[in-house]
Amino acid sequence: MQPILKINLSSREIETFTIPPAWERDYLGGSSLAARILWDTLALSLDPLSAAAPLLILNGPLSGTAGPTVGRFVVCGKSPATGLWAESNCGGFFGPELRQAGYDGIWLTGKADKPVYLWIHDRNIEIRPAESLWGLDTYQLQDAINDEIKRQEEQETGQPENRKTGIRVLGIGPAGEAQIPYALLLCDHGRVAGRTGLGAVMGSKNVKAVAVRGTGKVPVFDPAAYAPLRSAANLALKSDPMTSVMSSLGSAGAADYFNYLGEQPKKYFSAGTLEDADKISGASIAETILVGKTACHSCVIACGRVVRLDDGAKRKGPEYETLVGFGPNLGLTDPVTATRLGELCDRYGVDVISMSGTIGLAFRLYELGFIGTKDTGGLDLSWGNAAAAESCIHLALKREGFGQILSKGAKALAEHFGAPGEAIQVNGLELAYHDPRGASGMAIVYATSPRGGCHNQSDYFLADIGQVDASLGLEFFDRHAGAEKAANVAKHQDFRTVNNALVLCVFANVPPETMLELVNAACGYDLTLEDFLRCGERAWNLKRLINLKLGLTRAGDTLPAPLLRTLEDGGAAGYVIPFDKMMAAYYTARNWDANSGKPNSNKLSELGILGLAQEAGL
Amino acid sequence: MSAIFPGADWLQAFEQKLNTDERYGQIASKWEGDMYFIIEPEGNLKSQTVMYLDLWHGKCRGSEIVADITSHNPAFTLKAGYVNFARVLKGELDPMQAMLTRKLDVKGNMAVMMRNVPTVLDFVRCAREITTETL
Repeated sequence: MQPILKINLSSREIETFTIPPAWERDYLGGSSLAARILWDTLALSLDPLSAAAPLLILNGPLSGTAGPTVGRFVVCGKSPATGLWAESNCGGFFGPELRQAGYDGIWLTGKADKPVYLWIHDRNIEIRPAESLWGLDTYQLQDAINDEIKRQEEQETGQPENRKTGIRVLGIGPAGEAQIPYALLLCDHGRVAGRTGLGAVMGSKNVKAVAVRGTGKVPVFDPAAYAPLRSAANLALKSDPMTSVMSSLGSAGAADYFNYLGEQPKKYFSAGTLEDADKISGASIAETILVGKTACHSCVIACGRVVRLDDGAKRKGPEYETLVGFGPNLGLTDPVTATRLGELCDRYGVDVISMSGTIGLAFRLYELGFIGTKDTGGLDLSWGNAAAAESCIHLALKREGFGQILSKGAKALAEHFGAPGEAIQVNGLELAYHDPRGASGMAIVYATSPRGGCHNQSDYFLADIGQVDASLGLEFFDRHAGAEKAANVAKHQDFRTVNNALVLCVFANVPPETMLELVNAACGYDLTLEDFLRCGERAWNLKRLINLKLGLTRAGDTLPAPLLRTLEDGGAAGYVIPFDKMMAAYYTARNWDANSGKPNSNKLSELGILGLAQEAGL
Repeated sequence: MSAIFPGADWLQAFEQKLNTDERYGQIASKWEGDMYFIIEPEGNLKSQTVMYLDLWHGKCRGSEIVADITSHNPAFTLKAGYVNFARVLKGELDPMQAMLTRKLDVKGNMAVMMRNVPTVLDFVRCAREITTETL
């Protein structure tokens, strides 16, 4: 991979960091490699919003190579939401543009004394004032930076600048500036690094955005071998049935099925059914407001939705998490409402899962009587009240009244009102909208994800309905099977960790053998599938060690209590997750100590990271 | 009746099952769309077999083994090798798993298909229940 640009915003020093080749081979790239790079930096005492905290934007080894859905990048650091390892990957075009500029990452430290943005054009780096940009929303920001640079270039050349775009902006909204702990980074047509609050970390450094233009070539070890593999992989992906679903219906293409299985949460995970829930799906959007699609760099799927609402304007349509988070989760069943609330979150720059999850909790606590109108400033938080949900977003982002506590996320909200067990979160991160009572593998996934209650470290809800590749040794277990699937979940996590290292989109149903061939051709490796999984397992364990350093204990490997109760109706009615048995089997499969949750020494030795654990006193 | 998959007897038995199964009739009451099963030669099946089913509101309005694949333009096409079709019918392979692992190719309006997964699953149940043998 290419060098990482390392910028100290306090001293304005700019240098490059060369990734050791052994790290590249052991960790491949993306969040796995980021974990290794940041290992020394991350400590329990480190305030994630301090100048000392790092923010690392990193590509994968295939980013920008026009391979199957590999135009993504990841943002990593220490999470202000959880205090643990933070990673969030993102599509769009920013990552490939950065590669073309000659860098595979940007490592920010320090803090600028005034708001700035970074302008990286090929190997030229500028730290520019951004006081005039402070306060802009994430879409206004992209336009403003593009306009500023275009005007300047026209002045310099005396020629009108006809370039259509060519500048990719990754930035924060007002939420990141205000250091809301679930603030995001957004680029292009609403593509986000949403989870774990890394937008707040960027805001804490007084950095509003990074703008990039690259005109160079993306490095590939063996272009002659890579090109035909890439073409064949894209063709195969294009004809895959899952691609067909994602392309025609977006990421909410399976929402109807998830609803049928009882896997799509209703009323903040407290109900199994909801009248008109079938209005919340990719199919429903396709039948009503859909007017177009968008794609990330070189993607043949194009899962992005473009919708037109009553005002006539085309805008980003909701993906699955937004549709459910601002839909059945709040007792709502209107895709237009979900579109509008999702856009509001994008413009402010907050993660829709955390925001809608926090509001969902507020609605639930209101129903249970923990919260009343005296707490909400008069807001009626009854299920289905879309206006109240919108008010909650505004209040949270402005930290006004009831919004002060909403701005801290679900865990803090539940603790504040004396109901800590009601928050559907793990280690401070609000769960995504896949109820483990409908797909039991998600119980382990949520409990053990290195970034808290996350569905992207293993989308096992798909494995639970059959998406398992036998070439990896994965088996298909019933969606309500228990401990017998624990080892399978661990292997699936390892595999998806490889995905996240390559920063490959999880929506792409690419055979592992194909991914392997692409990596070997692009990097000059001769890895086997076994090596691949070992890279994933190594990174999974390294992130575990990081979290242990950051204070995680065995007690953190848990599920919220409401999910261990049964639902009364719907496709998961009556099912009880055998959580303790599943976790016991998981620790055995992982070769982790069941009491401490620490990886055993022989496992760490086998993975070549025992020395790191020992130096950290773990 | 002996219903060996794939064959005319099997198809006739399947049509009869779809038209008499109460549960299927209920679940598929909104289904509108005819279908091809394209079974590629594999294992003991030596040549491609194409079956046509006209499915409408919980009933099968007609079925045939098709000699000329251009004779219909069905709303949906399910295509797989014989071995995987047989595994689905014997209950060894889940139909969603077959689709998600690229063993079964599905063409048609995916919005309709995803809206009606319960219908598809019950359709497969009916097929399994009448399958006594494979080749």
